[in-house]
Amino acid sequence: MKKLDKRLFRMIKNTKGQFIAVLAIIITGIFVFTAVNNSAKNLNDSINDYYIETNFADIFVKGSSLPEKLEKQLPGTNDIIDAEARIVFDTKFITDDKDENVNVRVISVDKYENKINKLFMKTGKRILDEKDAILIEQFAVARNINVGDEIKIKINGRQTSFNVSGIATSSEYAYMMENEQTMLPNPENFGVIYLEEDYLRKVYSSRGNFNEILLSVNDDDNIEKIADQLEDNLDEYGVSRVIKKSDQLSNNMLSQEISGLEMMSQSIPVVFLAFAGIMLASMLSRIVKKDRTSIGVLKALGFTDGEIVVHYLKYAAIVGITGGLTGSIFGTALSGVMTSYYLVFFSIPMLTVKVYYYRILISVVLSLLFCIISGFLGVRGIVRINPAESMKPESPKKGKRLLVENIKFFWNHIPFSWKMVIRNIFREKKKFVFIGAAVAITCGMMIMTIWMIDIIDVMFNRHYSEFSKVQYNISFDSFKDESVLSEFAEAVKVDDMEGRIELPFEIENGRYSKIVNVIGLNEDTVFYGFRDMKNNKVQVPSQGILLSSNLANSLNANVGDVILLNNFVSDDEAFVTVKGIINQTLGINGYMSIDYLNEQFLDKRIINGVYINSDEDVPNKLDDMKNINVQSQNDMKLAFEEFTAVTAMSMGFMVVFSGLLGFVIVYSMTLMSINERTLEFSSLRVMGFSKKEIFNMLIRENMIMTVIGIISGIPVGLWLVKYLGDAFTTDIYTMKEPVNPKSIFISIILTIIFIILAQLMTYAKIHKLDFMQALKNRIS
Amino acid sequence: MNEIVLKVENLSKNYQMGEVTVKALEDVSLDAVKGEFIVILGPSGSGKSTLLNIIGGMDTPTSGNVYFNDEHITNMSDKDLTLYRRNKIGFVFQFYNLMATLTAKENVELAAELCENAIDIDEVMESVGLGGRKDHFPSQMSGGEQQRVAIARAVAKNPQILLCDEPTGALDFETGIQILKVLKDVNEIYKNTVIVITHNASIAQMADKVIKMRSGKITDISINESPIPAERIEW
Ligand SMILES: Nc1ncnc2c1ncn2[C@@H]1O[C@H](COP(=O)(O)OP(=O)(O)O)[C@@H](O)[C@H]1O
Ligand SMILES: [Mg+2]
Repeated sequence: MKKLDKRLFRMIKNTKGQFIAVLAIIITGIFVFTAVNNSAKNLNDSINDYYIETNFADIFVKGSSLPEKLEKQLPGTNDIIDAEARIVFDTKFITDDKDENVNVRVISVDKYENKINKLFMKTGKRILDEKDAILIEQFAVARNINVGDEIKIKINGRQTSFNVSGIATSSEYAYMMENEQTMLPNPENFGVIYLEEDYLRKVYSSRGNFNEILLSVNDDDNIEKIADQLEDNLDEYGVSRVIKKSDQLSNNMLSQEISGLEMMSQSIPVVFLAFAGIMLASMLSRIVKKDRTSIGVLKALGFTDGEIVVHYLKYAAIVGITGGLTGSIFGTALSGVMTSYYLVFFSIPMLTVKVYYYRILISVVLSLLFCIISGFLGVRGIVRINPAESMKPESPKKGKRLLVENIKFFWNHIPFSWKMVIRNIFREKKKFVFIGAAVAITCGMMIMTIWMIDIIDVMFNRHYSEFSKVQYNISFDSFKDESVLSEFAEAVKVDDMEGRIELPFEIENGRYSKIVNVIGLNEDTVFYGFRDMKNNKVQVPSQGILLSSNLANSLNANVGDVILLNNFVSDDEAFVTVKGIINQTLGINGYMSIDYLNEQFLDKRIINGVYINSDEDVPNKLDDMKNINVQSQNDMKLAFEEFTAVTAMSMGFMVVFSGLLGFVIVYSMTLMSINERTLEFSSLRVMGFSKKEIFNMLIRENMIMTVIGIISGIPVGLWLVKYLGDAFTTDIYTMKEPVNPKSIFISIILTIIFIILAQLMTYAKIHKLDFMQALKNRIS
Repeated sequence: MNEIVLKVENLSKNYQMGEVTVKALEDVSLDAVKGEFIVILGPSGSGKSTLLNIIGGMDTPTSGNVYFNDEHITNMSDKDLTLYRRNKIGFVFQFYNLMATLTAKENVELAAELCENAIDIDEVMESVGLGGRKDHFPSQMSGGEQQRVAIARAVAKNPQILLCDEPTGALDFETGIQILKVLKDVNEIYKNTVIVITHNASIAQMADKVIKMRSGKITDISINESPIPAERIEW
């Protein structure tokens, strides 16, 4: 080994505390980057493979009576390649447990194979006979149903048995939610069953017509245009919605998850790498400064500037390669864990944990480049060192009075030890700003994490206890007269009951438009507690509409604006005034008085669902009613609780990562201080200071910066919360919840714990240091 | 046989300190012959280091020329100066300036690795009297021992000129004499030109040529026909 390299390794050994510290930050950054980015790529690649393999539909057309002939007519027009009609309806799944409420979606498929949204068989056979059913895997697993079992569902009000002939997954239900309102998959209580098409056409009363058509088109970029045209062209068949691939529920959830991951992989690692970069640069520039004479000697010996720069850059390169390699290997391992965590929520048969070797390489190269660039910023001073000058002792810096010293009242009243602390801080301004910034970021990230933990809870609890007080939401297959309510009152002992309308509308405001469910309610409804953004109670207006804040946002609508509502079913349009914007944490909706909605778009006194609150087992009591679907709020809450248990783990990771940043930087910067100031400390020791007193001085310096860091960390945290809230606010979640003081308090405590840990570590180091030795050998 | 290896012509060096111009060197000229042992004498601040640094290619003059054999040093690019230092020059400094994290031997190897015609390291270490302490770190050695390592480091490259800036300045009398003896031994074994800076006049007794400086100027150059061995110097 070259002697210069030997010197390098001894240099690393002598500064191993700092070396490990900066390495830890790089590793964390690369680790998060690889883990999250790999997961996103895993998810993205496998879902795309899955879509290709199963020929995922580009457009979903829903209507009341779509004739079979469309299957032949549509292909060839409008860039449409293929069309496949099917019957889809929700019904009740009969279980042995009478207290259970299980809904299934029945979908017709071809006896042998369908062209679009093909089933991906897991077990059993694809060929379907009349009395056969293929079950979606998530449901079969959750309910422990196997091939050969018999299942019962209600068709046309009658219990009908089927033999489970196969179990499959479907790209359409990779994320299997019943509808937008359910928020989470709940495979025990909702599943999909595929039945043979000809059989369903006979038994499902629709005069042989279908109610959905799947389309695949030539050009993905044209989907939007084709969808618009279809909406107009297929009017006569009672088209209620034309859903583009990008809006399809499961696909939409997946893309949001993927883009969320991508955002995360681009933000958190940047923070870590930025800190690592600054640290590396300042570490190296300090090393270079300390080595000034040695560098002069090397130059005098005939080493070129380039050789010397490379010598020091190797330090950065070793950090980069080790950090990149370790980080990306651990990251790849974690992405395996993350991917299997996604498998809990997403059913993607191709989703396997892949090791992307070239990505490890990319991470290493990235980390290497990054370290070399930061390293270069630190060592570029080498070029300026003049060998002749470097042999002379550096002229001492001029002592300068600090600004605070002029504030006589303050300065004269603080003890000497504090004066020294303040002088030291000002002497090394940059270093302390850096420590302060690290503490601020740590505290900020803590606030963000604690807020995340809080908000998930708040979102669901607020939604299900304060916002929506619906215990059972019963949907009808079609519109009914209000008078059916009496049937429900007879069947169930209700505490509260109201008829409601829930209907998709296309809402337009100028050039903004959005398709959402609008809900028609009694003006004095007891099932909702609406509040505006200032937390004032809001009543359902007798005329006009209330918008959830995310809807108002995406329509760019304000109170008082007049917006256009377009109903697919009746194809009626009407202008409606926005009467209020309400705070709704889950889902995206408009709310109107049911009378006003009926008057504008439908007929008087009709409803397509009922809200019921009752202590009785409602699904069981309504067992005999035909063509209804009962949703229980309690089931959704339970599904949510499972979900939070899993997220708690990833939040735990975040707390550790954030803490690590503060810990590592405070630790390594203090170490740097100790190394640089051994002479000064030695003199203090000679004067009679104890190790403890010296340590106290260091602690005080860091304490001041910690306090400043924490104070400035609070706005950083609030900003992060706002940024994250905006980024994660989707049609499904609205994360506009202020941080509560308790979260801030917890974050500060956590930050302080990590800083104290770092201090204790440096104390151990100080204890080992032999200051006297430092005085004895003064060699460069 | 009086082959001139180094020629300095009308060398001047000015430092601009705000309004004032410090003339560190003023019109200095001298020659050095191969194998010559030269002592430059002068009080502190007289320009000795400045002269040595320019000769060694570590600094550039304001005007004047330095020739090493036929090479025009003062016209060289930074890159060529580095090569010149690497292959032709050996430096010994007052404060030894060893690499603290390398052992004695490694410090010498560091320099030897630089050039093609390096001398065998063990031999050099032997000739400076360091046979037994090769694996010690600088912090485990006395000042005199460290200076021996520094000399070995400079000699190992087999330079044609060995430049020593107050090599005994940080040492006590006894040790200083030993170091001077080492320098003289090296000079005799390897036949390189040795230039030693000092402000101690008695060292001049061992030189082949004595150059006296004052206020940036050379005041006298004298040839010493009968130099005495280092161990007989007294002051
Ligand atoms: N970098 C510099 N800037 C300004 N003046 C300098 C510098 N280096 C040397 N000098 C001045 O040049 C003169 C000669 O210095 P130097 O060659 O170091 O003297 P010596 O080695 O004989 O003690 C001194 O007056 C010194 O102050
Ligand atoms: Mg000098």
